[in-house]
Amino acid sequence: MTGGWRALLRLMAVQGSWNYERMLGVGMGYAAEPLLEDLKTVDPVRHGEAVVRSAEFFNCNPNLAGLALGATARAEYEAVPGAQIARLRTALCSPLGALGDELFWAGLVTALMGLALVAVVLGAGWWAILGFLVTYNVVRLLTAVWALRTGLDAGMRVGSAIGTSWVPGAAARVGPVAGAAVGLALPLAAAWYLRGFGWTGAVGALAVAAVGAAVTRWFGPSLTSVRFALLAMGLLLFFRWMGL
Amino acid sequence: MTAIAPEAVLLLVVWGTLVALDLVSVPQAMISRPLVAGTVAGWLAGDVEAGLRVGALLELFALDVLPIGAVRYPDFGPAAVAGAALAAGAPWELGLGLSVGLALVLAVLGGWSLKQVRRWNARAIQRRAAALAAGESGAIRVLQYGGIARDAARGALLTGFGLLLAWALSRGVQLDRRTAVGLTLVAVGTALSAAAAGAVRSAGRGARLRWLAAGVAAGTLLAVLR
Amino acid sequence: MPIALSRVDDRLVHGQVVIGWGRSLGISLIVLVDEGVAASAWEQDLYRMAVPAGVELRFATVAEAASHLDEWQGSPVRTMLLTGDVETMVALHRAAPAIVHKINLGGIHHRPGRRERLPYVYLTDDELHALEAVEASGAKVSAQDLPTTAPVALKALA
Repeated sequence: MTGGWRALLRLMAVQGSWNYERMLGVGMGYAAEPLLEDLKTVDPVRHGEAVVRSAEFFNCNPNLAGLALGATARAEYEAVPGAQIARLRTALCSPLGALGDELFWAGLVTALMGLALVAVVLGAGWWAILGFLVTYNVVRLLTAVWALRTGLDAGMRVGSAIGTSWVPGAAARVGPVAGAAVGLALPLAAAWYLRGFGWTGAVGALAVAAVGAAVTRWFGPSLTSVRFALLAMGLLLFFRWMGL
Repeated sequence: MTAIAPEAVLLLVVWGTLVALDLVSVPQAMISRPLVAGTVAGWLAGDVEAGLRVGALLELFALDVLPIGAVRYPDFGPAAVAGAALAAGAPWELGLGLSVGLALVLAVLGGWSLKQVRRWNARAIQRRAAALAAGESGAIRVLQYGGIARDAARGALLTGFGLLLAWALSRGVQLDRRTAVGLTLVAVGTALSAAAAGAVRSAGRGARLRWLAAGVAAGTLLAVLR
Repeated sequence: MPIALSRVDDRLVHGQVVIGWGRSLGISLIVLVDEGVAASAWEQDLYRMAVPAGVELRFATVAEAASHLDEWQGSPVRTMLLTGDVETMVALHRAAPAIVHKINLGGIHHRPGRRERLPYVYLTDDELHALEAVEASGAKVSAQDLPTTAPVALKALA
């Protein structure tokens, strides 16, 4: 099987045609194309079926999509029954989505962003942003290479390959780090913004924050934090316009 | 945005488009995070400090959003670009509130536009259902490039519209000092409540919650000592 | 209320379920009710990986789940019932209408014959009618993908 690097490159755009019908399906099909190329000469009929399967509904965290891509491509070459490949694909959505979201969106990104905010407050400026971008992208690129390689090596046994890998442990450990980083960033950011406004300004802003926390909690999902912010700004402008 | 050169406006639109693409489509390198998008936009508009202030504040709002499993969320990237452009050239204490207000409106609009693009992508798939069922790789490629092109167009339009609004606001709205400062304080307060709500929600009830509390305690201590 | 959520989601255990709902409701037991998965050990291994430490995942057929509903409802463990399709959830409701009385549609995606009702809810007319019958018998059905988004009543999906 060739085309690994091209598949890896295409995986960077796996969400390029994200939609509510197949989610990442078409993007996965696009990334699978180079991997399935050699199958065309070996077994053209099988190749056609594999292409159809490769673009069906699929959903997971994009950074771990390579595991599913590699595993299903290998299974196609090994002539595993199509229905079984489809079941594997469906079942993989679950751990690759949950572990990936935990590891990257709720974990690494939040942790690094918390630290970047702390660095900004402490005066690191561009270095904070550069550090955030470089760290995140090094980790996600190495993860992408590892994921595709592991998927290609494991084929239908990809489940145990994920289970024994570094991913579940890392997903569990990064959460507390993210919590601590955001916790650290919050008071520092508050002080950074409010320092120049005197006590009345700071107390006013923190009162708005307290009201916001209470009100958005009370009204639940119908009053998101963005809506509350726009509402509060609108009210302020209205009162000022009234001359208050 | 007192005096932004035409070349800078063009660069801002290009940057806004890249940032919009980055959120979902490609390459998800996190340049779409408002802290990154806003600071670079501030630099392009000639005021890094304003961009940093707008970006960091929007980042606090963004910490309340988890893009998990296909949920709909605001698009803060192009919003941060327009917000930073509006804030550029004025003291941030006065410009931050209005800029963040504009950015929040654009972020909601961005989230809506993302949903439309996703719908169009689905319709494009329906149109090529037969080719997909026949296993034509060409159809997959067309759909993929089409999706990216739609998202790029979305980003360019959104950023262009945002910059237009920013220009109109900078021309048409003259806030007195008290109102401008009030808006800034409201923006900071609501951003802090958003970030706190997001942090508590994703902390759950286990170890992460304890670490969050420890972080807040350490951060408070550090803020007081500084 | 030990069964804190009864959810239909064809992606089964994934981020929205584990991070979104699991965390905010303090769920410590997820019961995945699916005939196919209940019979497949390797699929169970995959789903188990998606669940964080401290949360137990059990697999059950409809019959097994129906016979345990009382027990789960009576236990202090906060539990989520999860099915991959409407049919299974309706069967659980019929087995214990007083326990499975609030149904959350979290993600039901496109398949031939289904029509878009919400971006994340596609239903055939038969599925819709089955859910309407469930509501007529006193249960509440609404669509909501995450705790942070607004719920949509079944009536609005017709």
